[in-house]
Amino acid sequence: MIEFDRVSKTYKEVRALDEVSFTVHEGSVTGFLGPNGAGKSTALRILTGLSRATSGSATVLGRPYAELECPGLQVGTLLDAGAQHPGRTGREVLTLGAMLLGLPRSRAEETLELVGLTGKESGRAVGGYSLGMRQRLGIGHALLGRPKALILDEPANGLDPQGIQWMRTLLRSLADSGCAVLLSSHLLHEVEQIADHVVMIGHGRVLAQGTVAELGGGRGLEQTFLDLTSTADRSAQ
Amino acid sequence: MSTAIPRQESAMSTAVRPIPFHRLLRVETRKLFDTRSGKVLTTILIVLSLAVVVVRGVVAGPQFELLSGTAGIVFGTLLPVLAILTMTGEWSHRTALTTFALEPRRVRVLAAKCVPPLVATVAACVLALLVAAPVTAAVAAVQGVRPVWTVELLPQLGSIAAMVLTTAMGLALGLLLLNAPAAIVIFLSSTMVWSFVKVMLGSTGETLAQWLDLATACRPLITGDMTGLDVARLAAATLVWVVIPLVVGALRVSRKDIS
Repeated sequence: MIEFDRVSKTYKEVRALDEVSFTVHEGSVTGFLGPNGAGKSTALRILTGLSRATSGSATVLGRPYAELECPGLQVGTLLDAGAQHPGRTGREVLTLGAMLLGLPRSRAEETLELVGLTGKESGRAVGGYSLGMRQRLGIGHALLGRPKALILDEPANGLDPQGIQWMRTLLRSLADSGCAVLLSSHLLHEVEQIADHVVMIGHGRVLAQGTVAELGGGRGLEQTFLDLTSTADRSAQ
Repeated sequence: MSTAIPRQESAMSTAVRPIPFHRLLRVETRKLFDTRSGKVLTTILIVLSLAVVVVRGVVAGPQFELLSGTAGIVFGTLLPVLAILTMTGEWSHRTALTTFALEPRRVRVLAAKCVPPLVATVAACVLALLVAAPVTAAVAAVQGVRPVWTVELLPQLGSIAAMVLTTAMGLALGLLLLNAPAAIVIFLSSTMVWSFVKVMLGSTGETLAQWLDLATACRPLITGDMTGLDVARLAAATLVWVVIPLVVGALRVSRKDIS
């Protein structure tokens, strides 16, 4: 379970997050939606202990992330698919992760297969990867420790339609096995296909939350989202 | 493309334990050599050291101690640069996100990063001795000259200690600045700046350098005749260039928002 409880973050003058509260239950794939700059990445970095909240608390599996024993074995994270050393091969990235988590080296091979990177691709330096391949590698890295919660920042960026389809199947099966999945995105159409729940955020505030069906309301998520964000824009001005 | 359903083991069969330090150490050591730049730097380091020892042997004659010390000129520059790259790498490529997500106890990660360059420095000094020996013998045989094998223990140990301190300065600058180009420029230009200070300020500059320039403060260590005053000077220079930047840098990293 992933829980945000009135999380706020202020940078000097700017209020990046304002009393953000929501919960991702086991078995749910929750899409965290908002335009660029809405505070999605900030929220996920606070959740994973990389940033500090100014007030409020965020917990994963009932505890602050940084207090979990070997968090990589309990929570899978992909915070930026682009943040990779360009000179390291994909296989090496997973091998390092497996070593650090105390998993057998074979886990890296299994994971490569799971995310659909071929032997040839995994032997190449990440610097030559497309964004889609980096996303697969990053999702694989997140899954190394067979986590019970998954936190993915913009995992759908750069994926082709087959990739989106693949990710939906993968995340759905993880959720069905009891995993709580939280993924952020600004791609509404893609998230509509992948997620079952949605939390919409704009200017650091939660604008709406509910199931995809509730928020889509026949018009699609995109329309709801545009309505909400334009209201938020007006009220912010 | 695989659409296979992943096999998720529902319950963890083994108890989850915090990551032990030796594992961090193994991973950080591996990270030194598993990238293209790491491999290139290591190769350059080895080839250049060998070449320098051989050339010096041919030019200066078969003097064991002189030859083993020659490799140090290469180490003294490249190992601190390696140390800087180790410390700053996570920020240059933003992999700090991944690293500190897997191990939120950031200071342990930083400590694990410090160890491999320091061990590599000692290993390189030992290797220099091992390489200098056959080169001395070979040059003596080829040139038909008697080789000089005299080695003084104290200066040898002193040079290794000085080399370790220089690498530690690289680590400290890297950790303080978290920016490879800036740290490398400051490290490489410090020799020039200090000689400038000595010329400009005369005896005052000389005194300043003795207390605050790590290279100058290390000199008595290398010649093997440290006095009590020299120890105090070396301690002061080490405090300024190693201890303070390491502590300030570690505190900053442990508190800052990683992005």
